[in-house]
Amino acid sequence: MTFWEKIQEIDRRWIYLVVLLCIIIPLLIPFNSKTYVTEPTSNLYKKIDSFAGKEDKAMLLSFSHDASTMAELFPMEVSILRHCFERNIKVFTICFSPAAAPLMAYAINVAKEDYENLESGVDYCNFGYKPYGLFLPIVLGMGDDVSEAVDTDTDGRKIKNLEIMKGIRNYDDLNLIVDFAASSAVFSWITYARVRFGANVAAGVTAVMAADNYPYLQSGQLVGMLSGLKGAAEYEKLVDVFAAYEDEQNPDGREFSQEVIKNTWVPIMEKTISYTGDTEMQTDVELPYKFKQARIGMNAQSIAHIMIIIFIIIGNVGYFLSKKNNNEV
Amino acid sequence: MFEIISNIVAALLTLFIFSFLYKDNPFYRFAEYLLVGVTMGYAIPLVYTNAFIPFVYRPIFLEGNFWLIIPSILGILYTFRFSEKLSWLSRYPIVFGMGIVGMGVPMSMHSSVLVQMRYAMRPIDNINTLIIFIGTVSILLYFYFSKPHKGLYGKFTNIGIWFMMVGFGASFGYTVMARISLLIGRIQFLLGDFLGLIK
Repeated sequence: MTFWEKIQEIDRRWIYLVVLLCIIIPLLIPFNSKTYVTEPTSNLYKKIDSFAGKEDKAMLLSFSHDASTMAELFPMEVSILRHCFERNIKVFTICFSPAAAPLMAYAINVAKEDYENLESGVDYCNFGYKPYGLFLPIVLGMGDDVSEAVDTDTDGRKIKNLEIMKGIRNYDDLNLIVDFAASSAVFSWITYARVRFGANVAAGVTAVMAADNYPYLQSGQLVGMLSGLKGAAEYEKLVDVFAAYEDEQNPDGREFSQEVIKNTWVPIMEKTISYTGDTEMQTDVELPYKFKQARIGMNAQSIAHIMIIIFIIIGNVGYFLSKKNNNEV
Repeated sequence: MFEIISNIVAALLTLFIFSFLYKDNPFYRFAEYLLVGVTMGYAIPLVYTNAFIPFVYRPIFLEGNFWLIIPSILGILYTFRFSEKLSWLSRYPIVFGMGIVGMGVPMSMHSSVLVQMRYAMRPIDNINTLIIFIGTVSILLYFYFSKPHKGLYGKFTNIGIWFMMVGFGASFGYTVMARISLLIGRIQFLLGDFLGLIK
């Protein structure tokens, strides 16, 4: 039996073991890798950032997934919430699945830990879990009046009495919906909120769902999209470079700039905030793990992808050589 | 203390599930059944608190909105699925549900057909729109079965197959990425939250 024939019959569990090592080693011995930001991610960032500091603009985050896809979606949820908290953007959260309710509360708690002055009902509001049977009445009802459609938040408070509702009435004000989904839930928001009321819809989806959503991105029905762990890593970087950026001239973050993002990269394993071209900007604060989780994960992802590509090449070379040998015999 | 216990339980259950990669075993099946049970056990009281109490019990029995008895009865008809003789009654709420779904058809047509068509009919002024044009037309013709796929026509429809193969490849690539991401998430939990090896 030749080497290539042996490779063809290798036990799949050896492949699992190699993939496992490819993931464990980069996580235990982390390294700095550059994250390039794609257009769908930067478009979503710009849209959210355009709401910064505005009384009459808010966004809604819809959590349409359970714990099984948390690895991909949770980092993007935390990043977007962090963006909102950094830039003083009113944000609402809602879910229509019981399994999403604790994840939603967890994401809010993780993101707000570093912001002492945030207040529920003033800076953000968790609508909580609503039964799926109410999806249509709520989505369509919010087109007329958000406080009528949702009625109470997760703490049982009347929405219309909350301070955050000042200047917020319907989709004209609650002008952006970001749906975090591991399914085709985004499509429902496009169908009912966008088509009927013209609301802006964006998606934070698992990589599996990304290909399905690209047509809506291309036709402009999605204003932006975060695709899997890569999308989360890109958004983490954008928040670091712009929303969480601080200096004497920009104490509350800075505006998005294509030039800056092109030339800046943020090492994740050092107490260094960023490199812009050759200029290095130092800081004493190390970025908390929760705000760089996706980028650390992407290190392992890159190594695993390279390994899988090598496996595919070896497998194909082995297949064709074995076939050739069989033909010659 | 609670965090330590919950991390130990989560880590054990993660390892039970991963043990399937070696071969099927009782630990894997225990974790699988537990997940189903816990999910249902968690959902039932949550739905009771967030759906039954505020939308059925409170309005009917405390606020006297008796007209809500009609949709409530309609909902109860679903449970007749379990009766052989009376299962036909469960079709009525399903019919009602289908009617509501029908309401979305015009809007779905708009978003998935009309708007997509409009963007597929844009002027061919760059390489991207040219690729979209060739891809759309060749795939549509590939699915036109009233003419045999032979000669020049057959060659053109073959281009459609290539476009679809690229699409399937992209989907498969994304699927691999997603599965690896989920594995990374679990390993991050085991090495970070559970063992404290990732800072």
